[in-house]
Amino acid sequence: MNNRLVTVYRRFLAGDGAYFWMLFPLLIFVAVIAVYPLLFSFGISFYKYRLTDPNQVRTFIGLANYLRSANDPIVIGSIKTTLIFVGGTVTLEIILGLAIALLLAAETRMAHLIRSFLLMPMALPPLVVGLVWKALYNVDFGVIPYYVKLLGVNPGRGPLVESGIAMPAVILVDVWQWTPLIMFIFLAGLKSLPSEPYEAAIVDGASRLQSFIYITLPLLKPTFLVALLLRTMQSFKVFDIIYATTAGGPGTETTVLNFQIYKVGMTFFDMGYAAALANILLFIVGILSVIYVMVLERQQL
Amino acid sequence: MQKGTVDMKRKQLEKILLTALSILVFILFMIPIYWLVTTSLKYGRDAFTLPPQWFFFDATLKNFRVELENTKTLMFIKNSLIITVGATSLSLLLGVPAGYAIARAKSKLLNMSSFFFLILLMVPPVAMLIPFYLIMRDIGLIGSYWAVIILDTVFDASFVVWMMRSYFKDVPKEMEEAALVDGASHFTAFLQVALPLSIPGIVSSALYCIIYTWNDFLFALMLTSPKTKTIPLGILASFSAVDVSWGRMAALSVFAIIPAVIISLFLNRYFVQGLTMGATKG
Repeated sequence: MNNRLVTVYRRFLAGDGAYFWMLFPLLIFVAVIAVYPLLFSFGISFYKYRLTDPNQVRTFIGLANYLRSANDPIVIGSIKTTLIFVGGTVTLEIILGLAIALLLAAETRMAHLIRSFLLMPMALPPLVVGLVWKALYNVDFGVIPYYVKLLGVNPGRGPLVESGIAMPAVILVDVWQWTPLIMFIFLAGLKSLPSEPYEAAIVDGASRLQSFIYITLPLLKPTFLVALLLRTMQSFKVFDIIYATTAGGPGTETTVLNFQIYKVGMTFFDMGYAAALANILLFIVGILSVIYVMVLERQQL
Repeated sequence: MQKGTVDMKRKQLEKILLTALSILVFILFMIPIYWLVTTSLKYGRDAFTLPPQWFFFDATLKNFRVELENTKTLMFIKNSLIITVGATSLSLLLGVPAGYAIARAKSKLLNMSSFFFLILLMVPPVAMLIPFYLIMRDIGLIGSYWAVIILDTVFDASFVVWMMRSYFKDVPKEMEEAALVDGASHFTAFLQVALPLSIPGIVSSALYCIIYTWNDFLFALMLTSPKTKTIPLGILASFSAVDVSWGRMAALSVFAIIPAVIISLFLNRYFVQGLTMGATKG
């Protein structure tokens, strides 16, 4: 028995003993700090567990939390809101990110300088970004409604409060912060393009637009996929910007699923239900991240 | 001959247009930051006069002086520093050897474990926060620096592993192999041969950890006590105060964006490498 264990151990490590021990501390850390809580969360999603209960009893209720979410209009609404937010931000960021990458791809001093300044938005604390934009959007003293008024448009009660405008206004904040990341990913992609197809295209008399459409875009397809998946997964995680600007309002118009989970868990203290919702979110993001991993692995080949 | 001059004119026009467009992009992306910095330099009465005073206003450092004389502000800064340094060091300590191990190991299982860290990186923080909050509450760690540090380290270290794995893969292993032949252990080869060659990668990783931890709001919101609150929470508190002073809030926000500004302008090479390598390398 003992010998067999040793054999299994040897085969498992395949001569990588030292490497295994270099990885080991992190594995233990992650198992305790991340995997255990996620399993714990999976467990309590089958319980009724409210911290507002005086005794905080956990009652097993099976799948009731999940069934409840399927009939909860706020949750269904927040999933729709999430899809609008993710779809809106990612689409705009990819289009703008590619355009700006092409604009600033030249190795001139000006392009280089602007590129380093463009790193700033994504390095800023999202909470500060949200609060700054909240001040810029403020209907009484904000800069944006002031200029909107000059253009002859009535800003109403302000972009973050007016129904139908709040979501685009929040999307704009996210686009401002994250378009530069997409730009840098595309810049890296553009840099790695081979030059031969372009030379051939010039010989064949192709216009620059033609070579962009028929050479650059197809060659950038892997970069597109990476940018798309990465930003989609990040966009699902949006929290600080929403917290700082609209707090999910007006009504529940900007309450994305992530924010709804926070509200259920951390303000209503309905932990079992919050855990169930969190698991639904994890499931969605989990599928996306597996696709992302597969894309990255294929690119390696 | 004539066709040549027309072509040249067109090229020149195109160049001017593209330059103008680049400058427009620059201005659009810088406006909110410029607004924040100028507001922090304004007297209260000027902060929100309309039309906005973009360039000509009475500049003052009063807001910064008031903030730096405020013991609470100093405490926020101290807490942010402790948590950032703690999480960054712990993440590098755990993540760099792990990334090296994954890059060099031959066993498929160890190689594949990097994807586990990548997936972990994608976990929405809220999904982690709810169980983590309950566990920390039960063991009484809420309000300690450790609660925030270890939760930030999960995400920071996962990034470091992913980043350093890509980096070590590009470091030639011949020198390490030579050291191994000479009788060095795998650990010595790592510490004395591979590590010194990978300083730029470690810098990139560290910058990511610093930014991520310094900017964190959600974990700090739920896991700190009044004594361990970080700068973002201080800003939020002054934003919701009854007698909100915009100038002082802007000054506090300027402290919050200092790392972002330094890194973008002076360490951008490392930061870009971390971002793109972490995102795109398989």
